[in-house]
Amino acid sequence: MKTKLFLLTFLTFLCSCEQEGDLTQDAVPIVVDQPNTVNKYQGVFLPTSGINGTGIVKIYLENNQYKLALENYSISSGPDLKVYLSKSNTPTEFVNLGNLNSEIVYFIPQNVDLKQYKFVLIHCQQYNHLFAVAQLIQN
Amino acid sequence: MKKVFLISAIILISNFAFAQGCSDAGICSIGHGFQSTDKDVKNTIEIATIFGAGESDVKYFSPYISYTRQINDKIELSTKVTFSTASGSFGTRGAFGDAFLIGKYSFAAKNNTQWSTLLGWKLPFTSSNLKINGYSLPLDYQSSLGTFDLFLGTNFKYRKWDFNAALQIPVFNNNKNSYFAAYSGTDDFPTTNLFERKSDALFRATYTLNTKNQKFSFKPNVLFIYHLGEDSFENIFGKRENFVGSEGLTINGNLISTYNISEQKSIELSIAAPFVVRDIRPDGLTRSFVLALHYKISF
Repeated sequence: MKTKLFLLTFLTFLCSCEQEGDLTQDAVPIVVDQPNTVNKYQGVFLPTSGINGTGIVKIYLENNQYKLALENYSISSGPDLKVYLSKSNTPTEFVNLGNLNSEIVYFIPQNVDLKQYKFVLIHCQQYNHLFAVAQLIQN
Repeated sequence: MKKVFLISAIILISNFAFAQGCSDAGICSIGHGFQSTDKDVKNTIEIATIFGAGESDVKYFSPYISYTRQINDKIELSTKVTFSTASGSFGTRGAFGDAFLIGKYSFAAKNNTQWSTLLGWKLPFTSSNLKINGYSLPLDYQSSLGTFDLFLGTNFKYRKWDFNAALQIPVFNNNKNSYFAAYSGTDDFPTTNLFERKSDALFRATYTLNTKNQKFSFKPNVLFIYHLGEDSFENIFGKRENFVGSEGLTINGNLISTYNISEQKSIELSIAAPFVVRDIRPDGLTRSFVLALHYKISF
């Protein structure tokens, strides 16, 4: 019995092994510096079939750097959600901005021509499932 | 209870040991599949733990358990389940890695020579996209590469020499890794988003030395692994890019020392280190030194 208990404890220890490190601490929210920024584009997320939620996306220009921020964002959670800047409302030609985290501001790479990207998508990369689409409208 | 203490001791000793040494997607340890168990016993259970030091500040602790069944004089079946914990600047992440199913067929020995063949399959327990606190992790922190691999191998035994040749072929890729170096805060590891891995070819030569009382044996061996192509990943624009320099040769040196506690039990210490490595190893198989401790019991 002791042997079984030992093995069970050991296996539980192995299975529960996850600990944050220096590079995986909670992100410090970056606030868009409103007085020095221009809200260039914005859109409202529409969830796809079977997905619930709402949210707004805004793209700011600050010191010649485009930044993307999510506001009032609340959409069904998924296992591997990414934020895509996309040329269409499906993930065919896109820029992957990284993991979805509504607390952070995404820096858009300098070589991206925003005029070609009319949509922001929330897409589950692991299971290739589209969660929400926002069409960008120029302000 | 003694067994429990022994297993605990193995795990603890190896945990405090300083390092380990080979790049193993499975093929490195496939030579173990060729090592014959005593013909008088039908079953062998092996518990092992491997400690390794990888690139940057990553340390590995990778135990596994395997079971081998001798079906008859010619056929042997093995299963193995691995677990891996990686620790470094990203934190600590542990998970079950892969399951291996390996079958071996031995031809009749004659004139001090014997041929055997091996067929195996590796099944991943993860899709290589383990995260910590929502952050994607490089392949160095993943317990599996997320590929379903086929192993084909052959072994030629001549007196005290063993020569293995094997292929590890990723048949189905389920790697869903989503790590981007640009979004990670460090450039220690390359982007491996939706990583695709090529096959490996292995050649190993082993010489066995036994002490007169047969209590100890030493198996120095050299292991050549050729990575048969350039691995690739999907960049932020959704376009596939090759890792230039990921194809090529790795040469590992390995010494396996075995102490036979009794006819049914043995303990084995394996030390390995690479002498030649590929220009870039995005698959995270970057161990600079490996120390493994195995405990085998047959019945």
